[in-house]
Amino acid sequence: MQGNKIRNLGRRTLLALMGSAAAVSLMGPAAAQDKPTLNLFIWGQYTDADLVKKFEDQYNARVVETNYNSLGEMFAKLQAGGDRQYDIVVPTNYYVPRLVHAGLLQPLDKAKLPNMKYLMDQFVDPPFDPGNQYVAPYQWGTTGIAYDKTKIPDPPQSWAALFDPKANPNQPFSISTDPQVMLGGACAYLGKDYTCSSQEDLIAAGKELAKVKKRANFQGFMDGTPMLKALARGNIAMGVAYNGDLAFNKLEDPEGNANIAFFIPKEGGEIWLDSMGIPANAPHADLAHKWINFLLEPENGAQLSNYNNFGTPNKESVQYLDENMKDPLVLPDAETLQRLHYTPSLSGKEQQFVQQLWDSIQSR
Amino acid sequence: MAEAVASRQATGYQGRFLGLGSDAWHILGVIMPGVLWIVVFLVVPMLLLVGIAFMTNGPYGLPEQPFTLDAFRQLAGFGLLGWGPGNLLVILRTLWQTALATLLVTLISYPVAYYVTTRPPALQPILLLLVVAPSWSNQVIRAMGWMNLLAPGTPLSTLAAKLGLIAPELGLFPSAFAVTLGLVYDFLPFMVLPLYASFERLDHAQVEAAYDLHAGPVRAFLHAVLPQTLPGLLAGIMLVGIPAFGMYVVPELLGGGKSLMLGNLIARQFQDASNWPYGAAASIVMIAVTLVGLVVLRRLSRRAAGGVEVVL
Amino acid sequence: MKSRRLGVSLRIIWYLVLFFLYAPLFVVVLYSFNDANTTTHITHFSLRWYRRLFGNAQVLDALKLSIWLGLGSSVISAVLGTMLGYGMYIHRGARRLAWLVWIVYLPVATPDILYGISELGFFTDVHARFGILRPGFLTMLIAHVSFQLPFVALVVYSRLVGLDPELFNACRDLYANGWQRARFFIVPTLSPAILAGFFLSFTLSIDDLVISFFTTGPGNTTLPIYIWSAIRKGVTPEVNAAAAILIGGVFAAATVAMVVQYMKALTRRQRNALL
Repeated sequence: MQGNKIRNLGRRTLLALMGSAAAVSLMGPAAAQDKPTLNLFIWGQYTDADLVKKFEDQYNARVVETNYNSLGEMFAKLQAGGDRQYDIVVPTNYYVPRLVHAGLLQPLDKAKLPNMKYLMDQFVDPPFDPGNQYVAPYQWGTTGIAYDKTKIPDPPQSWAALFDPKANPNQPFSISTDPQVMLGGACAYLGKDYTCSSQEDLIAAGKELAKVKKRANFQGFMDGTPMLKALARGNIAMGVAYNGDLAFNKLEDPEGNANIAFFIPKEGGEIWLDSMGIPANAPHADLAHKWINFLLEPENGAQLSNYNNFGTPNKESVQYLDENMKDPLVLPDAETLQRLHYTPSLSGKEQQFVQQLWDSIQSR
Repeated sequence: MAEAVASRQATGYQGRFLGLGSDAWHILGVIMPGVLWIVVFLVVPMLLLVGIAFMTNGPYGLPEQPFTLDAFRQLAGFGLLGWGPGNLLVILRTLWQTALATLLVTLISYPVAYYVTTRPPALQPILLLLVVAPSWSNQVIRAMGWMNLLAPGTPLSTLAAKLGLIAPELGLFPSAFAVTLGLVYDFLPFMVLPLYASFERLDHAQVEAAYDLHAGPVRAFLHAVLPQTLPGLLAGIMLVGIPAFGMYVVPELLGGGKSLMLGNLIARQFQDASNWPYGAAASIVMIAVTLVGLVVLRRLSRRAAGGVEVVL
Repeated sequence: MKSRRLGVSLRIIWYLVLFFLYAPLFVVVLYSFNDANTTTHITHFSLRWYRRLFGNAQVLDALKLSIWLGLGSSVISAVLGTMLGYGMYIHRGARRLAWLVWIVYLPVATPDILYGISELGFFTDVHARFGILRPGFLTMLIAHVSFQLPFVALVVYSRLVGLDPELFNACRDLYANGWQRARFFIVPTLSPAILAGFFLSFTLSIDDLVISFFTTGPGNTTLPIYIWSAIRKGVTPEVNAAAAILIGGVFAAATVAMVVQYMKALTRRQRNALL
């Protein structure tokens, strides 16, 4: 009889435990969140936490940041339902027409964005977004080749550093995940323009890339901060990187990055502009507009650039920039700027061609 | 029949309600919720996936009409640069890695399982726990541990370089070797346990008889031990080989872009490269291999266990 | 003679294998205390990664989410799985339910990546068409329950198969109807199995990466997803610390299990000694 009571007690406790666990957990975590939330979808290490705090305090909101490590990943996630979940996305220039055609972005309400008047002239009405209809400039920067001086002491300041086996026979290296950037680089290496677009040119470039993949010291496809971290840790000795990321890392960890150098290939490379857009079915579009306007405020724009070490598109922000922002790593000189091109935006058919070419390269 | 009668008796209601016997209501009420959950949230999505393989790849990666076999052509290697063996190589490599890992796991598990059975019975569960415990940690952490151990400049990598196996600046990962290592590491416990169960029931008299008949250790193993451990071995192969074929985390972290396995190829089509029909076509290959493997292994297990239905 | 040589080589193999099994985990713990941000050399002992870890709100949020997800999904799968296992037992002879085994085994046999991808496609489609099931906590929960169900069902089924079928007749003899039999006989007998199924489900959920990764939405990062993203981003030192804590948890659980095993074995021997 006693044993029965004990067993019943145990059973009841078990049921109670499970029941309460069910009830509480089905309410979902963090059930009580009254503040409006801004879902930010952006590259890692790109937004200043202090700026986020400032925005949260100013507008009594909450910011949730989700990162991506490549533009392909960003696009895939937006297509797979992300356009209903994120409020701000930050595509690079050549992805904007793609997003617009796929119906993933909504037009900006200029009435809510008075600070657009601060934009530098070259960023007003860009070719990839006529009339600044869909996106507002965020930061601009350059893509180049970063390498470890101690492992590769004197590489050619050209795309040959990546494509020519003689330039780097043994050291591990990576290339970018982005098909257009790498095809452009291969074109430049072959003596054509970085912005080559004819099918024969692209196929020749593709063949070069297929050769790169076969080399023993090829380590894979990496971009942005993951690539630079691998470089600093010694997992690779050379790869494609963004200038501001490297400048940021050098400030944050001078010792680890002391031997990392950067150059823009002499045949030409990429200059890019990242812009903020609002996904088509964003849950908090109004708050998203506030975020864009907030970042276009001259002082905030400067604080952002001072944090991530990329170029600001805001002409009123220049006066607030730190001294180190004049470093040629962050701000290339006029002569270098001549060699830099925006990666071309492709039409649907051209885009499919490039994608098929990239798939072919992957399958060799 | 007897069981059906027993179950009707068990539920205690003989008549019919709304045209169905209490049997049917019992089934509906008790089994259907779980079954429906699996059907709606797994079977239907997988059928959808198979369907996507026959659609066209839209300009931005999502599937659209019309129906086509383009995805399969792409899978077979036909692309803009002509025919490339890469995709078929991925499938072959996956089969090879799976087979190699299973073989290595088997070779290591036999002595380990046997060793445990030679220990005092009170100790055996503890020893088994020692073997199984590492698999309780998260698979990502386990892969990370190997990333730490195989990076360039670590003792293992330097040793390999000194032995001339790899170039001195490279590390042991990412590479096919690292992937095999990771697979063996993850799946070792899953072969040790079934083999241990088989060894427990081993009839040592047969082994002794083999020795009495002047068989060497190899022949004794092949003819006396192996047949008796066959059920455990087959169960182990099913628990190791089939999941290994579908692995994603280990080849992704330890193989990098070099040692691509089928799971990674599929994932890429849904993440970066955005080509859902192509990813779905590759998924069909994985489904087919998994199904065939399961059916074959089940048949073999049943035969090895003497025709008895194996619960697994 | 032969058997002694065999014995020695077996022992060597055993210790080598143990070393192999624990080396990577040991290394993770070791580097979590390493001051330098590299795996090629050890500088000096430091707790800085742990300090950064505990100040990292994202990790703590991820842990919280993992636990909520685990509890929620385990409860649902415990209930549905028990019912399923019971139904499988009662109707285990019925030929028309032969397909049941295949359905129940399907989640077990399906590779994670296929599981995750088909869920991704399915939820995307459903959400685009009907606006429900936005990728997030709920979709992760649904996916988790679907792969936990078979395990609970099988655990319950195995327990029932071990029962004496006469007990069911005994219930009938005592004029118990279906509900009474369930309440006074089946549930109490099965409660260890249900509990085991619950814990098994919880473990499976906490550990899952691939399926969670493909069914989650923004702001819903579980701990394995966080660690995975951190490794991909290249932010490893704190991740080593988080991993080391998880390894510590596993080690603690394993030690407890070993002690329990040892005590059980002891009591049996003591009991035998008394007889």
